Amino acid sequence: MSTTSTTQTLSPSTSHEEPRSGTWDGGNEPFKASYGKLMMWFFLLSDAFTFAAFLTTYGLVRHRHLAYTGDHKDFVFSTAYWPIPDHVFNSFPGLHGMNLPLAFVALMTMILIFSSVTMVLAVEAGHRMDKADVQKWLLWTLLFGATFVSCQAWEWTHFIHGTDAGTKMLDGTTFFGANLHMNQYGPVLFADLFFFITGFHGTHVFSGLCLLAYCFIATTNGTFEKRGHYEMIEKVGLYWHFVDLVWVFVFTFFYLV
Amino acid sequence: MASHANTEHLAPGEIAKPNTGWIWKTFFVLVGITALEFAVTFIMDPSTLRNSILIILTIFKAFFIVAEFMHLKHETKGLIWTILIPMALLIWLLVALITEGSYIGEAVYNIFK
Repeated sequence: MSTTSTTQTLSPSTSHEEPRSGTWDGGNEPFKASYGKLMMWFFLLSDAFTFAAFLTTYGLVRHRHLAYTGDHKDFVFSTAYWPIPDHVFNSFPGLHGMNLPLAFVALMTMILIFSSVTMVLAVEAGHRMDKADVQKWLLWTLLFGATFVSCQAWEWTHFIHGTDAGTKMLDGTTFFGANLHMNQYGPVLFADLFFFITGFHGTHVFSGLCLLAYCFIATTNGTFEKRGHYEMIEKVGLYWHFVDLVWVFVFTFFYLV
Repeated sequence: MASHANTEHLAPGEIAKPNTGWIWKTFFVLVGITALEFAVTFIMDPSTLRNSILIILTIFKAFFIVAEFMHLKHETKGLIWTILIPMALLIWLLVALITEGSYIGEAVYNIFK
């Protein structure tokens, strides 16, 4: 024991030689999860509330507008009632003019679920300290994630430019596509909510891609190997799965219901 | 934990065999539920029943992603409840947004009438 110390030490483990393991100096992990992972969970919890508010708003706004009551086949776009999603999202890149309801969004959903699988494979490889496998699966995740964002870019472009026929608006002019204060598909708020909800989700995917790119570079440089663990991959993995999770809900509430 | 690679009994520098069966099982469950959601959307006419089925299937999907991919099922009980209990506040958020939103919507509608 030190006899020359002038400061009070809380516990013997605060000396420089021993690791911090006492209850009151950061050594205790009540949830058996590291600080970083725990904070990622809490961040995701708060993010879940943001997305829930968005989707609730969608439900509320949709409920306040008239629903289309006619036959599903005879549906035409009108600002008088809320559009049926599978009449709005029925195009596919390269297949112009064909009616393929929700086919493209199905493909996007599959791509995102698959990117979640490759992410969890990267985390699993990290547990085994298998650098080559981590690199391989991170690259696949990056590829699928980038493909998803590209698909979304195509969908936005198509949504903004509109269909060939356009829609006759109340003032008698024909309007094509959508912007924030006018759209051919239905009430103004339909396009607004489309831009905000899928846009906010797309921003999350983009942030995820940046984090994945960082992880790939750090793995390649051997940063995590030197550190002795691949926990960073786990934390980014949590975030990436959350983005997939949000898409599952956006997909149901925006495209299916 | 079954989903953790067994890193014991390894010589230095040796890498354990991948244990990925559970990942692919979860993947096929997710694909299956998604396919079912599509089938329900196209077979059934829009109704409260159809929406309820879709929402229940969505929650199933969410469960598999959170429990398996995000590994929450294999964390300590304390962590699981720390994440799940605040989720109950979503119900409050839902009620509050709908009540307040309906009121504001009504007021705005009446102003412009």
